[in-house]
This record gives sequence, C-alpha cells and structure tokens, in this order.
Amino acid sequence: MKLQRELQIVNRLGLHARACAKLVKTANQFESDIVLRQNEHQADAKSIMGLMMLAATQGTRLTVITSGADAEDAMTQVQHLINNRFEEDE
Amino acid sequence: MLSLSGTGIGRGIAIGRAIVLDQGHNDIPCYHISATALSGEIERFNHAVDAVRADLKRVQRNLPTDAPPETSAFIDVHLLMLDDPVISQQPVQTIQEQQQNAEWALKSHADTLIDFFEDIADPYLRSKKNDVAQVVGRIMDELAHSPGEQPPDLATLGSSLAEQIIVARDLTPADTIMLRGRNMAAFVTSLGGPISHTAILARSLGLPAIVGLHDVIDTIHNNDLLIVDAATGTVLVAPDEPLLTQFRELQQQHLEHQQRLTLLKNEKAVTQDGEAITLLANIELPEDIEGLRSAGAAGVGLYRTEFLFMNRPKPPSEDEQYQAYCHVLRRVEGPVTIRTLDLGADKQVDGSRPDSETTATSALGLRAIRLCLSEPSLFKPQLRAILRAAVHGDAQIMIPMLSSLHELEQSLALVGEVCAELEREGVAFNSKVPLGGMIEVPAAAVSADLFARKLDFLSIGTNDLIQYTLAIDRVDDSVNYLYDPLHPSVLRLIRTVIRAGHEADIPVSMCGEMAGDPAFTRLLLGLGLRHFSMEPSQLLEIRQQVRQSTLAGLPGQVTDILNCVETGSLYDLVDQLNQIDG
Repeated sequence: MKLQRELQIVNRLGLHARACAKLVKTANQFESDIVLRQNEHQADAKSIMGLMMLAATQGTRLTVITSGADAEDAMTQVQHLINNRFEEDE
Repeated sequence: MLSLSGTGIGRGIAIGRAIVLDQGHNDIPCYHISATALSGEIERFNHAVDAVRADLKRVQRNLPTDAPPETSAFIDVHLLMLDDPVISQQPVQTIQEQQQNAEWALKSHADTLIDFFEDIADPYLRSKKNDVAQVVGRIMDELAHSPGEQPPDLATLGSSLAEQIIVARDLTPADTIMLRGRNMAAFVTSLGGPISHTAILARSLGLPAIVGLHDVIDTIHNNDLLIVDAATGTVLVAPDEPLLTQFRELQQQHLEHQQRLTLLKNEKAVTQDGEAITLLANIELPEDIEGLRSAGAAGVGLYRTEFLFMNRPKPPSEDEQYQAYCHVLRRVEGPVTIRTLDLGADKQVDGSRPDSETTATSALGLRAIRLCLSEPSLFKPQLRAILRAAVHGDAQIMIPMLSSLHELEQSLALVGEVCAELEREGVAFNSKVPLGGMIEVPAAAVSADLFARKLDFLSIGTNDLIQYTLAIDRVDDSVNYLYDPLHPSVLRLIRTVIRAGHEADIPVSMCGEMAGDPAFTRLLLGLGLRHFSMEPSQLLEIRQQVRQSTLAGLPGQVTDILNCVETGSLYDLVDQLNQIDG
C-alpha cells in the first residue's frame, strides 16, 4: 500500500534536531518506507541526518509518502506527531 | 595511467615506487590503507562508533535526576546521528573503495555534511552543524585512542630508500635533514615552489622533484609505480610498459649527459675569451664536502650552519661548533664562507624557543642577524667557534639578512669584543677573518655601496632578495606564481650590488638558487658577476655553461634585457642569449 499526504510543519522551531529524533523514532516503529519530500529534496524519515538536512522551518509544506504493509498506521502516526508540534509547547 | 603536473625541479628522470608520507592537516591523519589491511581498518572504525554509542548510552542512563529534561533528548539525537548511514556506513564504503584511513574517510563525509548545514538559511537549523561536529569529534577521539596501521614516518622508514619516491604534502627543513643520505630517487610534494625546502634539497642532492602538485597528489597511493620527469614537471602514475621503456631510455641519456659533464671536473671555469670565473659550492652537512670535491669547486661560498642547531632541544656548545667548523675547514681546499645562524622564519630550532606564541617568526620577523643580535648568548659562541676554527683553514664569516648599517656596526663590534675575549683568555684564534654580508634585503641592495665600505665581501642571496623585492610570502603556496628571478627590479638590484662591489674593490658572489641555474649563467656574467656559489650538483653544468660563453658583448645584450618592457619577450631574450655559440 502506498499513501501520500500534504502536511505543514507548525511548531515554531521547525524540523530541529530533537523533533527529527522523535520523527525517526516514530518512523522506526514501522516496516513501511517513509519519505518526506519538499520540492526536489527528499528525506528518509528513518535518517536523522536526512531530516535535519531538509531544513524545514515553521510553515514549510511537506509531502509525506508511506509505502508498505503498515503504510496507513505509519501515516497516521507521522501526521499526528507533526500536527501535534512534536509535543512541543509552541 | 594518470599524468599529474606541477613545478619540476632539476632535470632528471626518476622511476620508482611511491612512499606516501602522512598527508594529514589540522591533526587529522591521512594515509593509504593497503588492501590486506582494509578489513582491519573498517573494524577499527566500527569499534570506534560502537564505543561512542556505548559511552553515550552510559551517560544517558546515569543522568543526574536534576538534569534538564531535554538532556536525554539531546543524547538521543546524537545516538540517532551515530546510527545514521551517513555517519556510520558511508565512511566504511570510502575506506573500502578509496583505501583511505578511517579518520580521513570520516572527515571527508563530515566536511560535506557540515558544508551543507552552513548553507541553511534558518540560523537555528544551521546551528545543528555543531551536533554533527560533536558526534564526529567523539568518533575521532575514539579513533585516536586506537591508532591503525601507521603511515610511513621519516623516523621509522629504513635507512635506504633506493628506487623509492617520497610523496608528501610538504617537507620541512627538519625533514630535509633527515632525508639526506637515504638514496631516494625523487620527491613529489603537494605544496611548494621553486625555492621551497623540498626544491632546495632536491637540487642539493641532484635529484628530480615535482612540487606544487596541489590536491591531485591524493591520487598517488603507497607503492604506486611512478615516473617523475622534472624537465616537464610531470608525474606519471602507474605507467604502461611502452612508456616505461621510453622513460628508461631518457633516463639513460640524462645519465650519459651527467657522465660527460664529469669530464669537465678538472677543466678550468674559464670563458671563451679567457676570463676565469670562480665556482664555489653551497654546503650544509659535512658529507656535502664529497660532492664539492668530485665537482671541482674552488671552495665553499655558503656553509649553512643551521643544521647544527636543528632537531635538538638546545643549541650546540661553542666546542661542538668549533669541531664541526674545523672538520669542514680541514677538508676543503680554498675559502670556506661560514654563514652565521640564519634561524627564525620557517627554520626553527626544535624546542629551544618554548614560547612559540611570541617567537612565531615570519620571513619579515626576528630571524637571522636580528635574532643573533637580540640573543648574544646564541651568537657569541658561534663567532668564537668560527674565529678559533679559522686557525685551521681559510674561513670567512658571512652575516645573513643585513638590512641596516646599524646591524652591521653591532655585528662588527661584537666580533671585536669576541676577539678581545679570546685574546685575554689566551685561546688560539685568527683575528684576520674576512667579514662579509649577505645582500638579500632590498634595503641593503639599494645601499650596497654603503655596506661595501665596511665589509670585505658581499654575497647576493637571490631567494630572499626575490621574495622580499616582489613581496611574496615564500610559504604561501597561492602566491608562488609571482616568484620571478627575471623581474626587472630583481635584475636591477643585482646589478646595483655587483657595481657597488666593483667600485669598493671587494668581491661579490651570488649564493642563491639563481647562481646554480644554467639558464641564468650568461645573464649574470653579463651583469658582471664573477663568483658563483651553488649546490654541488649544479657545478659541472654551470662550468660547462661558463666555458661555452664569451663575455664580450654580454653586457650590451643584458642591458636590453634590463630595459625590456614586454614581459613575454623577456624570456625570449634570455633564450637568445643562451643560444649564442660561445
């Protein structure tokens, strides 16, 4: 199964190191491949360096693509984390 | 096969295997890993990553209860970075594919990552490059604790390097001393120009060298078969058999040319029109005397004394210096011009000046006679040793880097003082030792007539004179291209100094690299130079050039060269000068 969804980074600091770490940890719970795409840049959600190098600031629109057996759960969790500002206050 | 080009020194051809010395900079070692040692090197890298991971986890487990809550999250970030393929797997690939050591493989990937972060516009996200640097730094520290297959080091290499070619980033003066007498075939360096220490060493040993290869030097690996062709400035890596045959023939021809030159050993250095020219040798170590004899030098025009002071914690005692100078004076027929200590700038005494902060000297800093006058405890023992040794031979004292008449007065006063001391002590010494000055600072060249009145001889040091006149930092690779012995200002200064000597009726010699370059022999003869001092390996070539030259007519042609305003035709004019049949 393959899913694709547009999401926006809403937390103030953007995809900073600790946010990336949380995203990697979440992504690692799934078998599916999880990719974040921003224009021509693309990052594996299981690679912290890749995510950090996306340099996605607050307001950045990303395309999340999950593909694999648990693609649906993966998408739900990733979406929840991003929309929930990585559990940060602002 | 690869062909790399740099600046060729000398003319010979060498064929041999590469010994790549550590190319590292900023304390990160860089060396080639042999195929058999690759798996060990990868294991070393993986161990380092594992050790850092274990360490981070230990810290995370043992966090004090009052640590800020995000501390653990930050450690998580570092742990995840450590496990990221960019950090933990790509360097392994590089070790495997490029046969590079772990540190250098890691550095090259880390540099790419850090460069990437530098370009991020958002300042907060950009600052994450510090996390990369920290994680990489931890792995580097781990690697430093478990050193791998050590790169070849000058101190550990065998005493004979026959048919081997030294490949290095750069050679320091101390390296060049260690390399003497080890029979290597050639040198190849990344940095350096025509007057770098590597170049001077190569000329003094009569070996070909290629300097200034820059980054392409990284394509040479240990044990690669190399052809070094100094005439064209080319290094051929892993040449095929037909090429090897071709170069072996060229090498043979060069050898035969050298052998024909040895026939000139006992011939006089006289021009076609009968003027005798004095050809002297530059020496550094006692073993250089052999080369001077076999090339029939008339004496020593430059005896560099720095080697006595290098690679040791303390300066040599007066007696040790006395023995060294006696050794040379007893074995050389003819005058021996002993240059007093020319330390400072890029030649430092190891360890004797612990306060490197204040003594880091540049070419324009406290060096040579400046250093000697500021530290009489260093200078006086040398003067005493020379004056005492002068009883046993024809010694002359030469003061380097004079720039003001005041320095000259101070030096003369110091010599007088030392003579009085020796007299009082009843020690045997020679009070009539001629005292000369090296003219290598433009200020001294312009006022050479004033210096000539107080000195017994002048000697032009072209390497420094060119560098100072043209404002070139000798150790800055990026301005080496400006180094030009044919710059009109340089030639005019040389002419000024030679004229000043003639008018004062004292000899003027030249001991810089120009004196040993056959391309400049006629030019210098035309400028009125009659005393040339050079590396012993150049003596026969210059002798041949002198013998094929006619003095009459040279001054006129040389004046044309000095007045030439077309830089392009300057070299043509010198070529024409050299092609005239004697």
